[in-house]
Amino acid sequence: MNEGEFVVLLGPSGCGKTTLLRHLKRELTPVGTTAGVIRYKGQLLSELPAESAAGEIGMVFQNPDAQIVMDTVWHELAFAMENMGLEPAVMRSRLAEISGLFGLEPLLYRSVHELSGGQKQLLNLASVLLLQPKLLLLDEPTSQLDPVAAREFIQILHRLNQEMSMTIIISEHRLEEVLPLADRVLLLTGGQLRAEGTPRDMVRRVGEEQLWPHLAYLPAAARLFLALSPDIDRAAEAPVPLTVRDGKRWLQETLPHLAALERNNGKAATGAQEAGPHTQPEAAVMSCREVTFRYRKDGPEVLKKLSLSLYPGELLMLMGGNGAGKSTLLQLLAGLAKPQRGKVEMNKGLTAGYLAQNPLLYFSQDTVQEELEHMAHYAGMTEQTAREEIAALLGVFQLREVLQSHPQDISGGQQQQTALAMVLLLKPDILLLDEPTKGLDPGAKEKLAALLQLLRDRGMSILIVTHDVEFAASYATRCAMLFDGGITAESPPERFFGANFFYTTAVNRMVRDWLPEALTVEEVARTWSNSVSRS
Amino acid sequence: MNGGFRSVHPSVALLYYAGLLLFAMLLFHPLYLLTELTAVAILLLLQGQGRPLLRGLPFYLLMAGSVAVLNPLFSHRGSHILFYFLDQPITLEAILYGLMMMVVLLTLFIVFISYNYTVTTDKFMYLFAAAAPKSALLTLMAIRFVPLFQRRLHQITLIQRIRGIDVGTGNLRKRMRDGMTLLKVLLTWSLEEALQTADSMKARGFGLRKRSAYAIYKLDRRDVALLAILAVCGLIVLGGWLQGYGKIEIYPRMKPVQFGGGEATCFIGFCLFALTPLWLEGREKWLWRSSQRNVYLSATPIKTGPHLMSSRSR
Repeated sequence: MNEGEFVVLLGPSGCGKTTLLRHLKRELTPVGTTAGVIRYKGQLLSELPAESAAGEIGMVFQNPDAQIVMDTVWHELAFAMENMGLEPAVMRSRLAEISGLFGLEPLLYRSVHELSGGQKQLLNLASVLLLQPKLLLLDEPTSQLDPVAAREFIQILHRLNQEMSMTIIISEHRLEEVLPLADRVLLLTGGQLRAEGTPRDMVRRVGEEQLWPHLAYLPAAARLFLALSPDIDRAAEAPVPLTVRDGKRWLQETLPHLAALERNNGKAATGAQEAGPHTQPEAAVMSCREVTFRYRKDGPEVLKKLSLSLYPGELLMLMGGNGAGKSTLLQLLAGLAKPQRGKVEMNKGLTAGYLAQNPLLYFSQDTVQEELEHMAHYAGMTEQTAREEIAALLGVFQLREVLQSHPQDISGGQQQQTALAMVLLLKPDILLLDEPTKGLDPGAKEKLAALLQLLRDRGMSILIVTHDVEFAASYATRCAMLFDGGITAESPPERFFGANFFYTTAVNRMVRDWLPEALTVEEVARTWSNSVSRS
Repeated sequence: MNGGFRSVHPSVALLYYAGLLLFAMLLFHPLYLLTELTAVAILLLLQGQGRPLLRGLPFYLLMAGSVAVLNPLFSHRGSHILFYFLDQPITLEAILYGLMMMVVLLTLFIVFISYNYTVTTDKFMYLFAAAAPKSALLTLMAIRFVPLFQRRLHQITLIQRIRGIDVGTGNLRKRMRDGMTLLKVLLTWSLEEALQTADSMKARGFGLRKRSAYAIYKLDRRDVALLAILAVCGLIVLGGWLQGYGKIEIYPRMKPVQFGGGEATCFIGFCLFALTPLWLEGREKWLWRSSQRNVYLSATPIKTGPHLMSSRSR
């Protein structure tokens, strides 16, 4: 690792990314047997003086909340400097510097819990930077943030790397933004370094060496490149596009068939429209009419005269910015809160199951098995049916190996699946999920999608609140946008995202001039192969 | 809302309130107590805190008033028996003593209201941290957990209701068990997160050496002057108290109140001490009022005489 490098670690959950990063930070080296040596500036890491080990190597963790120690922003920022026993004058000038750089000045006297997740993570980064580190370690820092905040955070990292020549090692699931910035990418699987190279090399190698399971980590432009370019092209050392801009340029330059593609699609598009709007006036399983909600008497209106319906068997994805009231709406639908005005209606005899963002809220027993049994007991099942039901769910969710573990000890994805299994034991007809893709790696996301499909096949209607545009574009049957307390747009994903200019998938942004309704790599590839076979 | 007395350094405010508290308890003299009561009440009114004061007043009056009523009923000391109530002698001294106690209580209440408004938690913690950095850090972290746990418990209650764990339904035994379960969830979650917090603290060099304290409050010249004034006045009053001023004797027999030269010095010192913030607050009010009235002339005064440019070109 050289000074000033921007290194990205990638790999599925549990592959050892966090363990590796923790080994690089002496104070946090995990307990266990260790072999091999780590050197920092030619010196053994374990022999480094305590102060430079703490100050020169900074680390930011995954969970923005858990890292915060103090209750006001200025105090949290000062915390690290106070630990180092710096002079008040030094502290003051450093604080001034960092507040200017990050624009934290208006927040300085705010209480920490008023901040958004993105602001909290920025605060954590700033607090570490105040010790003026030379090496910055980041363990999935954006996994709990919404896409806008994540992008801002990564831009700041980029600036630190470019302007201060700070060495950065970051582990990430969301590579759309990070990969184009990286100097080097390390692919870890099962605790071993599987591949290493520049981002472009990695794309090539993923394409050539059949590292297909890792395809999902690549940015959309690279995936499109791999899906569309014939093998000869790949060998011809064409520069691999990583960003939307490069991807679009590559499409313009290298695809002579674009004209044909466009014509072809014109027919397909009209065909799709003839098939008619999906929103046939079917009886809704759940609907809310002109719902208005405030948390406090004198509080602002979170939802304003909002109307929304959920139809049988559909997968509705509700999107919207931070604090738009998405989670609130879901709680209203689940019956956990009552609107001041308007009505939430459900068909007679139907029940709704609600999965909150934080699966930890669901656990109260000592093992996963006890959790499930307790829930089955509450649902009023006999022991026989409970056992069968739990066995079936365990099979579907692949939770057998963690059955005897404490719910706090299993991975985030498994926690979420356990919580979902618990909700399913209540046999709901409607499923309400709050940000189920948060913090999941691409593999886990695909698993979740397959699961949702399975549930829909069994006649369940699902409403998901999410920030994840790519996920919504791939799997939703209908998308809706929540803005300013109401639903502003509502249509099938192709039209929903096709009509958007900024708020759409990276693939769509690349190909929208030719295929305005194509949202995913698969769709583009399908249209592409069709047009090739016809011409 | 940070002008006037609230803008002084926390140490000045703390000295002021500590002094008021001490004097309210030491000086058992109606003149002093009423002066203090009026001073703090006016200070609160000047700071625009009349409404909270008024809201709490019935409660305080009830508390203090009950002392005034109960004291003569239970205490029968004193030599001037006014009448008999249920065969119990009611003495003039006991009534006066009760009234005095009432004024003391009212003074204490009102001093606390003012204290809460002026010395906020972070100001107090700031001073505390200077005195005892480690315990202050611990206290701060603990204080932060109270609202945090409240928010979390609310979330947990909401979700666990789905699985039938609810303190609102069922018999007492079930409710208690469910309550414990909810607390257990809160504790497991919070302890798990505390591990990460500990990591984050260690990663930022906690415990490597003696902590310094970041200062957000500056002790300026006005604060130093105020500290000096308050200290001198306070010492005068304390000295007077040691000489026996600022006290009246009610039990066992009321003595006539005398007001001599020593008493006057002591009282003037006390007035200066108690009224200093009023002066600050009043000046603040005046400042803003007069600044509204002011008509600002052009910022650059017009000078007469030859122009710079023209004089040079000559």
